[in-house]
Amino acid sequence: MKQLQSVKLGLIGVGGIGRLHLKHALMLNNAEVVAVADTNKNALAQAKELGVKNTYSDYSELLKNPYVDAVLIAVPTHLHLQVARDAAEAKKHVLLEKPIAVTVEEAKEVIAAAQRNSVKLMMGYPMRFNRGFLKLKEDLVNGLLGEVENAHATYICAGPFVHRADGHSPAPVPDWWFNTKLTGGGVLMDLGCHMINLLRMLFGEVTDVRGQFGHRYRMDFEDSAICLMRFTSGTLAAVNVGWYSQDYMLRVDMLGTVSSVSVTHVPPPTLPAMYQMLTSGVSSFSKPFFDELKYFADCLRNDIAPSPTGLDGLRDVEAIIQAYKNTIEI
Amino acid sequence: MSLVSLVKISQNADKPLQEAIAQSLGLINYSFGSGIRRIVIKPNLCYYWDCTTGQTTDPRFVSALIDLLRAEICPELYISIVESDASAMRLKYAYRMLGYEKLAEEKGVRLVNLSESEASNVEVSCNGGSYSFMVPDVISGADLRINVAHIKYTVDPVKLTCALKNVFGCNPAPKKFRYHSDLGNVIVALNKAMKFNLCLIDNSIAAGVQPRRMGLVMAGQDPVAVDAVAAKIAGLNPDRIPYLAVAEAEGVGTRGYVARGAELEYFRALYPKITNRMKTKAQLKRALRGVGLGKRLGLE
Repeated sequence: MKQLQSVKLGLIGVGGIGRLHLKHALMLNNAEVVAVADTNKNALAQAKELGVKNTYSDYSELLKNPYVDAVLIAVPTHLHLQVARDAAEAKKHVLLEKPIAVTVEEAKEVIAAAQRNSVKLMMGYPMRFNRGFLKLKEDLVNGLLGEVENAHATYICAGPFVHRADGHSPAPVPDWWFNTKLTGGGVLMDLGCHMINLLRMLFGEVTDVRGQFGHRYRMDFEDSAICLMRFTSGTLAAVNVGWYSQDYMLRVDMLGTVSSVSVTHVPPPTLPAMYQMLTSGVSSFSKPFFDELKYFADCLRNDIAPSPTGLDGLRDVEAIIQAYKNTIEI
Repeated sequence: MSLVSLVKISQNADKPLQEAIAQSLGLINYSFGSGIRRIVIKPNLCYYWDCTTGQTTDPRFVSALIDLLRAEICPELYISIVESDASAMRLKYAYRMLGYEKLAEEKGVRLVNLSESEASNVEVSCNGGSYSFMVPDVISGADLRINVAHIKYTVDPVKLTCALKNVFGCNPAPKKFRYHSDLGNVIVALNKAMKFNLCLIDNSIAAGVQPRRMGLVMAGQDPVAVDAVAAKIAGLNPDRIPYLAVAEAEGVGTRGYVARGAELEYFRALYPKITNRMKTKAQLKRALRGVGLGKRLGLE
């Protein structure tokens, strides 16, 4: 594999998370955004305004651009397989938003496509780049917590129901979010995969899982979930996720035989956030997203296999599907 | 002067909401009259915020109102709950997520999406301008139109959402954001095009700057007077809300009111109001955006 001096990135999908990726990717010093694809013309016009030279309404045209080394894929989940497979076949490295796919079978196909075409595949799990969680991992490895008997991983927010805007105009939640065939599930699939991935980084593989699901909004998908999970380390963790709150709380509590620690990832207050933006262009809340992209570009430049991998994405989806099957009735 | 009632919901009552609504109607001497069969109820639904946030009408309030209507008028009523799609809200989801599908099933009432219903064009003048709206037939053909609003803050210069603003949601056009540059006049014009017979305010939970249990039910037949009282409760001066003056000038109602029932000051003290610090912070953000620093500071 050739070493890259500056990675030429293409972004496929400029919705909510795609816009954040674009903003950060434009700030990278080890990569440049050379192309963007989206079906939304406003999104393409905004990308042009930000200085992206090539914009496409059809992502397959972007994949034909020979200058694109790698793509960031931030499209709706049901399109992950199709877009990731096409990208791999076009010999583009892939950073794929979580969850990897809507089913285990599709997740396996994504991984196979990357392997078959010898391209790197990384999953978008920014919490793996949160300094607090990385320190937690370090402390755990160094025995500072002793053995972690229990852990609680909580992620509660409005999820897809956060107020959206298209330019200055409020925008509705895209219809695909209301269709479980297109999302693969509800909040456990959307937010739970973040927490499961984080817990797997800390405690190893999932050996058993049980789920309890809530339907406050009376939809076909769960809008809250509490899962009990056992890991190879022996730790029993409770994953608590919800789309029901206007507040935002992402927190991991570790209860160890030596000490207990809590780490949160929440937006900073306005003034500190403004200061961070002014001085570095990135708030502490967005920093893991920025670091994730920087790391991906570094991996490509140095020909290193990035992590979290496609297999990580698969393991997370497997655990989620298992939780949907092993429901606890209370 | 218009009568506006304020009632504190008594949790000791058998049917707290139904009794509070009945009491609020009694205080304004309201009687339903005869010959009423088709009733339209317009709750305030916005986005997918459930009623615990104080942003939307509690379906239990509407449920209690339906029970009262059937008890007071007759059991065989044709009741429609109406709302429309909005820039950021798809009603088919909102009705389900906010508990209105369940309510409709339990009470045997119809849920109407005004954005998808039959409507006729109506021209109205307001404050020197002329406006054209599609008025849904379900509203114009109703024998009784009940506006079930909520007291909330909203964008300047309108500042207040209550009875008048709730009628904005009767405009079937889904992309309502485009009206925002002329919002005050559009609200008044819509109130001229679609006149509601009765305003009921469900402020079991107040929105304010944060939600708070308030236990308030208000009633009035004059939406301008109701909004004037609502403004006072929210710590705003009704004389400094320009569209209330426009509404009065256009004959929609009067800002003069006679409040009956519980003390207005009691609810005013409870309402989570905007503080001077919040105002300063908002002004600072506006100023920073104004000088082009919004994006750089993460304010946009």
